[in-house]
Amino acid sequence: MSELDRTRTIRTDYLARVEGEGAMYVKLDGREVADVKLRIYEPPRFFEALLRGRAFTEAPDITARICGICPVAYQMSAVRAMEDACGVRIDEGPIRDLRRLIYCGEWIESHSLHVYMLHAPDFLGYPGAVEMARDHREIVEQGLQMKKAGNAVMALVGGREIHPINVRVGGFYRAPTKAQLGTLRDPLQRALQIALETVRWATALPFPEIQRELELLALSDPDPGAYPIDRGRIVSDGGIDIAPAEFDEHVVEEQVEHSNALRARIRERDVYLTGPLARYALCSHALRPLAAAAAREAGLGAVCRNPFRSILVRAVELVQACDEALALIESYEPPDAPAVEVRPRRAVGHGATEAPRGLLYHRYEIDEQGTILDARIVPPTSQNQLAIEQDLRAVVEANLDLPDDRLALRCEQAIRNHDPCISCATHFLTLTVDRG
Amino acid sequence: MAEGARRGAPPAPRVLVIGVGNALRGDDAAGVEVARRLRARLQEAREGEARGGEVSEFEEARKDRAGAAAPEIEVRELEGETLALLDVWEGADAVVLVDAVRSGAAPGMIHRVDASRKPLPARLRGSSSTHAVGVGEAIELARSLGRLPRRVVLYGLEGAGFDAGAGLSRAVAAAVAPLAEAVLGEARALGSESSAAATAAWP
Repeated sequence: MSELDRTRTIRTDYLARVEGEGAMYVKLDGREVADVKLRIYEPPRFFEALLRGRAFTEAPDITARICGICPVAYQMSAVRAMEDACGVRIDEGPIRDLRRLIYCGEWIESHSLHVYMLHAPDFLGYPGAVEMARDHREIVEQGLQMKKAGNAVMALVGGREIHPINVRVGGFYRAPTKAQLGTLRDPLQRALQIALETVRWATALPFPEIQRELELLALSDPDPGAYPIDRGRIVSDGGIDIAPAEFDEHVVEEQVEHSNALRARIRERDVYLTGPLARYALCSHALRPLAAAAAREAGLGAVCRNPFRSILVRAVELVQACDEALALIESYEPPDAPAVEVRPRRAVGHGATEAPRGLLYHRYEIDEQGTILDARIVPPTSQNQLAIEQDLRAVVEANLDLPDDRLALRCEQAIRNHDPCISCATHFLTLTVDRG
Repeated sequence: MAEGARRGAPPAPRVLVIGVGNALRGDDAAGVEVARRLRARLQEAREGEARGGEVSEFEEARKDRAGAAAPEIEVRELEGETLALLDVWEGADAVVLVDAVRSGAAPGMIHRVDASRKPLPARLRGSSSTHAVGVGEAIELARSLGRLPRRVVLYGLEGAGFDAGAGLSRAVAAAVAPLAEAVLGEARALGSESSAAATAAWP
């Protein structure tokens, strides 16, 4: 048999159902996986360059446009980093509550989109949500209804649904009244019921048995009763326990030839994973009782290491986000002022929050006028890239006998398990699998 | 609208123009730019009307009406997640969508597709560069769920570059003004058509 006969290459040039565009490339040499590459094309540091020379107050608005799905995450990491630089802490009170509330809205919106529109078709055997909707209209309508509740929270607190304009360094431009927040109660209660049903529905899905032994990394809120969203220390099951300011010392990013994005790894060891599986494994003790009970019913255990089951963890986090949003609305009393004053000073500030897909780290250096001198943004997808490539390798090795089209689909699913927000790390990502 | 209702006429049809895109990703800003241009254009027309100057498009539209109140043209921008379209256009009679596309045609070229009755052609399906679900998929999902407005027309502006932080390419920038005019004409035509349909259906 010639070399050519033994080599096969599986490529997918357009990766559907991920945010952005991606390319995957898998090369098989006989039964050996010779190469796995996730290619990312975008000049990765364009937004950082764009931020240099701008006012510190502009960072939330500019970075919100990096990702169409998680603008709030970018805003929240940006405001935390700027407040850190300026020596301001907003760790309690109505402004922080509003921040957690709008962040819950984004989790609801993003997780609903992923669970129902992007991930569910993989399990139910449809090429996409459009085809799935023809046979499972109820399921799609439910997902859309829950997503709409998230959008409503973002629109009310953020001023606009997709690109919230009400968020600023120090707080908000306008704080909603208690009565205004009260209008969210009914849609959120309905969303909570759907989320609980979603957990039951997702529990019954067929999952391939794959266990991935990766270091898991997430934020951990200092309040033991708070699931990590908007603040906290960075912890891992490999022993990391650091302040966001120490992120750079422990996580290194490297440029790889096949990808314009930077790929992150833990300096002392190697690959790690951030996102729902990590949050759940490290912080499930902080879930609200309703979400904790849903996780138990779903049989999730203390740690879930099967990336295909991340859909279940997202469903549990949907319960958590709906339930917490309702609690925040009940206890809300408007602040005296919608924002605290933040005066610039020459400093470096760090901010880390939990985007729906994982830890999002920002670091800014500003001068005494508040002009941004340097910016660094590490999105969850570039942190997870190495883990996703390793998942691809494991999935290909376990499914060598599948024909190319089905293997390519399995590979795409392995990527979608991590809900990569490729436009955070890139613009045009294209995916490819290759068997000669 | 309330006045129309008292006279026993059908309510004013609602025509929505939605510019889709990302303001900070090169030509992906095209839809948002067209929406902004159009909003300014409508504002000028309103001010012209208030000053009692030349006959505005609103007066023209009123003359056109056959019983129903003048159509309302509303302009929205949508940055980011496109399934939000299903909520944004809820209650609209007709929608004109404007988005950047990448089909391989010459940059600056304007595509017009009537998506009211049949699916978008495949070349325009994955049109939007930075959305998990493209505009085309949002339209088709709405169609399968029966949540598509009665009329939906998509204007695609062929982009040259979509790099983050870049501005509009020269070809796309030059096409924004003529496209805004074309979209306005389309919105007016859809408004008149909706008025006529509403009047015909009015008991």
